[in-house]
Amino acid sequence: MSEEELLRKISEKFGEKVLEAKALGKRRISVLVSTDAYKDVVRYVAQDLGLEFLSCLSGVDRGDNLEIVAHLGYSTCVLIKTHVPKDSPIIDSITDILPAASFYERETHDLLGIVFGGHPNLKRLFLPEDWPEGVHPLRKDYAPEQPKPLRGGERGENG
Amino acid sequence: MSFEIPIGPQHPIHVEPLMLRLTVEGELIVDVDVDVSYIHKGIEKALETRPYIQGLYLVERICGICNAAHSLCYCLNIEQLLGKEAPPRAKYLRIIVEELSRIHSHLLWLGHYFHTLGFETLFMYFWRDRERVMDMLELITGNRVITSYNTIGGVRRDLAPEAEQNLRRALDYIEERMRYYEKVIDSEPTILARTQGVGILKPEDAVKMGAVGPHLRASRIKHDIRLDDPYSGHDEVPFNVVTWDTCDCYARIKVRVREVYECVNMIRYALDHIPSGDYRLKIPSFFKTPPGESLARVEAPRGELVHYSISDGGEKPYRYRVRTPTLANLLSVTEMLRSRGDYEVYIADVPAILGGIDPCICCSARIVITDEARRRRMTMTLDDIIRLSRERRVEKR
Repeated sequence: MSEEELLRKISEKFGEKVLEAKALGKRRISVLVSTDAYKDVVRYVAQDLGLEFLSCLSGVDRGDNLEIVAHLGYSTCVLIKTHVPKDSPIIDSITDILPAASFYERETHDLLGIVFGGHPNLKRLFLPEDWPEGVHPLRKDYAPEQPKPLRGGERGENG
Repeated sequence: MSFEIPIGPQHPIHVEPLMLRLTVEGELIVDVDVDVSYIHKGIEKALETRPYIQGLYLVERICGICNAAHSLCYCLNIEQLLGKEAPPRAKYLRIIVEELSRIHSHLLWLGHYFHTLGFETLFMYFWRDRERVMDMLELITGNRVITSYNTIGGVRRDLAPEAEQNLRRALDYIEERMRYYEKVIDSEPTILARTQGVGILKPEDAVKMGAVGPHLRASRIKHDIRLDDPYSGHDEVPFNVVTWDTCDCYARIKVRVREVYECVNMIRYALDHIPSGDYRLKIPSFFKTPPGESLARVEAPRGELVHYSISDGGEKPYRYRVRTPTLANLLSVTEMLRSRGDYEVYIADVPAILGGIDPCICCSARIVITDEARRRRMTMTLDDIIRLSRERRVEKR
């Protein structure tokens, strides 16, 4: 299926719920959908269009919103994007359609604080056990601690 | 009565910190939980704070073995953002180095895998032959492990004529040795007993669990990024996608052995047909990319590698996402390690199954067995677990 055909099918099926649909280049298309339609679009692309191979699921900090990007497809890769507000970043989990999303959703939950409703095991995946709750390192407002110089102007205990 | 056995985070069956919490009933594994939280390095965040050219050195160090794949994927991404493409000669040189590192990775894995199964001789042989490949990598790229060969807009060095002769001799050697090893693998009853019918992953489960690379192809699914989504002139170089029907650990060995032959043939073809011309574009060290996004997929030795970058027009990426093959394959391990119905998994199968995905997550000598009922903890050493694993007799079911 060509890029145009995929774009047309998704746009026709979901109408105004598709906020933006474009080709990103050879074998790459991107569709931005409204939050409530996200899961249906994923289901449609995975089950009806047969692109059930989930390459990746990413999260992006877009200022006031957080963006979720599902990358689906064997040859042509469809990027299904949606936005959730930063103050209540809740979205339905797609693990019941694509179990492969399980680890990626845990990762996104960990690093960006997006809550995936209905995920069977939304535990911490990458951050250490003693990492403070509510601190999400991939958000733009998080600044990592700067390492202190080993030898500075002030002399330490060991001189 | 069930027990929980933690394997890891430091354990000899895998070289990097990974924790498997196995729930067992006797020898039978009934449930498993994976914990990979020990070495998250925050590279994605670090990439957001570096100019593109510095990021290149960082992504190469995500994984030592797959470094050529990571740097290639990064370069493809940035080239896409810049709207440029590497010259044809660079594409062929990239294929040569990528396939050489695939041979090196597969030989390393095969050696390590037979080591975990207790076949030390084969381990030594594979690693000896791997040195020959490492020498070739050094000859072409100047470096043994982290090749630092790919750069934004092409590659860093051209291929010297004398290197080509050496490379062809090394390929003949590797091919001859692999034919011999394949014969050994197929005729050695220990290997067959430890791998056939162990760790079965059905094709539909493999796709559902998002498995990638040789692991997926060993489950009969013909999916290879080089074929489905050619990224560096792979549409010009003929090769076969190796799949295997048995979907078990034996299939994973065979797929990787056969892939080595394909790599050898691809390198030969690339050497025969390499176009002349420039091997890199002139791109300044510091530059800005136009706003936009790009997604590059590369078939790394362990499977599909995904890099996704978003640019806001600056000289650093706005967001850079890396999805490594092992994260995709880990989920299927939980599936393979869980006994259900007539499919039974024993503790002694853990090294064979976990090793089968070529996990890239470090190692030591500790397993704590917690006996909840008797409130007792005992620590098993490396020797104990390896002994347990080797003494396992496979009953004909």
